[in-house]
Amino acid sequence: MSTSTESTEAGVTVDEVVIGSLHPESGSSAADGQQMARGAQYAVDAINEAGGIESLGGAKLVLSSADTQGKPEVGQSEATRLIQEGAVALIGTYQSATSANVAAVAERSKVPFVMDISSLDEILDQGYTYSFRLQPNATLMGTQGAEALIAMGEASDEPVEKVAFLYEQGNFGQATLKSFQAAAEEAGVTVDPVISYDAASVSDMTTQVQQVAASGADVLAVAGYYRDSLLVSQAVDTIKPDLDAVFGVANGAYDQPQFVTDAPNGGEGYFDANYHWDVTNDAAVELADKYEAEFGEPIRTGAVLSYDAVMVIAAALEESGTVDTTDLRDAIADSSYEPLVVSNGPVSFDEDGENTNASIVVMQVQDGAIKQVYPDDRAESDFLYPAPVN
Amino acid sequence: MTTNTQPRAELEAPPVARRRIRLSREMTKTLVVTVVILTIVAVAAGIVSGSTTVLTQALVTGVLTGGIYSLIAMGLTLIYGVLHIINFANGAMVALSLYLTYEVVSIFGVHPYLALVITIPVMMGLGALVQAVLLNPVMRAPIHTQLLITIGLALAIENLLLLVFGPNPLSVQLPGNTGVPVLGATVELSRIYAFIGSLVLVAALWLLLKRTAIGTAIRAVAANPEGARLVGINIKGIYILTFAIGAAAAGAAGTLIAPFSTIQPTAGAIFNLTAFVVVVLGGMGNVPGALVGGLVVGLTEQLGALIFPGQSPLLAVFVVFLIVLFVKPKGVFGRAS
Repeated sequence: MSTSTESTEAGVTVDEVVIGSLHPESGSSAADGQQMARGAQYAVDAINEAGGIESLGGAKLVLSSADTQGKPEVGQSEATRLIQEGAVALIGTYQSATSANVAAVAERSKVPFVMDISSLDEILDQGYTYSFRLQPNATLMGTQGAEALIAMGEASDEPVEKVAFLYEQGNFGQATLKSFQAAAEEAGVTVDPVISYDAASVSDMTTQVQQVAASGADVLAVAGYYRDSLLVSQAVDTIKPDLDAVFGVANGAYDQPQFVTDAPNGGEGYFDANYHWDVTNDAAVELADKYEAEFGEPIRTGAVLSYDAVMVIAAALEESGTVDTTDLRDAIADSSYEPLVVSNGPVSFDEDGENTNASIVVMQVQDGAIKQVYPDDRAESDFLYPAPVN
Repeated sequence: MTTNTQPRAELEAPPVARRRIRLSREMTKTLVVTVVILTIVAVAAGIVSGSTTVLTQALVTGVLTGGIYSLIAMGLTLIYGVLHIINFANGAMVALSLYLTYEVVSIFGVHPYLALVITIPVMMGLGALVQAVLLNPVMRAPIHTQLLITIGLALAIENLLLLVFGPNPLSVQLPGNTGVPVLGATVELSRIYAFIGSLVLVAALWLLLKRTAIGTAIRAVAANPEGARLVGINIKGIYILTFAIGAAAAGAAGTLIAPFSTIQPTAGAIFNLTAFVVVVLGGMGNVPGALVGGLVVGLTEQLGALIFPGQSPLLAVFVVFLIVLFVKPKGVFGRAS
């Protein structure tokens, strides 16, 4: 890896540009982390096959992948190592706590950091200038999730009146609850009861679902990770509460291909309002097909977001024609890349580094497959509401 | 192992007789206090939740998850009681058993519980191997040496599972697993079976320890290794056997919880913290104590979540844990030394 800022200043042609990729390739989030590392590699390969970075004399991209193990301190030390080894930009990291640490390292080292996944709002509330986020943050997902649910209810015979909200007690769950609640109550929808749980240790959700059943709510909204959200679906199947819908908000399970295999009754009818790769975009479908053919499993949105993150950096390298990290940062701030994830338009960062065009899409399990169903212009199938899951 | 009947009788009989009388009196008192406290907490939870169905569900779920906690803590407490090793690999062993169960079901297409025929002996063998090769040579080393070995073992097992099975979660379906009514609550059948399995395991371990020659030898080693050696008990053999039984308990736990678990390399780690709390509450090394400890933790978690909605359900567990440590530092059923 021979790149360095000095070499370009000295007029030497750049052969390689190193991008650091930080993801949890082991530990409990390894399923996502490994896919994300592969997604990033796909983007690097695509750029190199197309001739590299033209404005840098056809320089090839090199992906330097590090395993954060899902641990903030490991992420921090790996980020430092990658920068020392010559990475001109970083992507990552999946866990918000890890991203918060990496963002601090990026700021100190003046190396741009493009977050693919990490929903916690506060990461970008620190006034950082070198960190950017592609995905919608937790507040945006809660707000857009509530709006979409209410709109779908209004379009049916059973408008949403009362939502029970079950959430993991960490930052992600709390921020999602807060914004969901605000948007729902503004639209005159009651959010009650709100019940939290510890995602790290919970092993049974029947009492919580019994509380939901007793409350008379017509929708159960769930903001959780994979394992705990699956437990909720098992408890719903056991208790059989009278619900019009189970609606995931940025849920880690209800839009995963694996959920259809693991859930009772194949998870039929479950909704999720989440960021997602755009199945109505041909380039995204092509990438997904290629991934599934090579690795034998469906692509996850994380992989596509990592792909997009590398593409944003590649476009900025092309635009700025330099590997000077400050100039690169400025070029990223002016991004206009068209992402493969569902979005309201090209990637466009505000002064905090948030992608103003980031958007959710509502998905529903229909006939054993996850389908985009709302909004209409992204729908591959009509949504079914009410959708009792028992 | 060679046992010498005469000295063992001298070593065993008097203290056991005395201990049994003292324990039962103490135990009754402790049990009464525990039940009274739990009743008060349950009434409070019922008032806060405002629904008898919710309260009943919390009580039934608390008992059932408590049973699962004790199931997982069983091997841990046995190994601690005899070897004084805190087996940090217990969770990883449960995860390994989950994968074994998955493999048995997918290869042979049999009922998940039939996998016990494989998981128990395989885990027992692994446990024996671990003790014989890794731990026996360092039994006299400072305690952190053994800790580091079990932590290393946990990492090795988890990463091996990741390497072999990949990161995607797997699942095992139990045929005919539906919700059934229990005292007004609704419960998944698989959780009832796991609870029953936990009771059977406690009974089996208890009988093994109290009613068999091997059990007597294990208890002798636990109480006084030097004395046991003098009466001709093969200490290292007992260590190997104990770790093997502890690992077999983790194996049984893994198969019993498989139908409602997300099978991934870190699946056992979810229970690690809770299992330690159960072991300490029940009295380190006390097998029936682990059952009671599990029930207390399960009920506290469920009722605590009703009383303090929006707070971590573990908060109530740790409050109880601290109170018990303060009042009874040896655990609810720990013997006064």
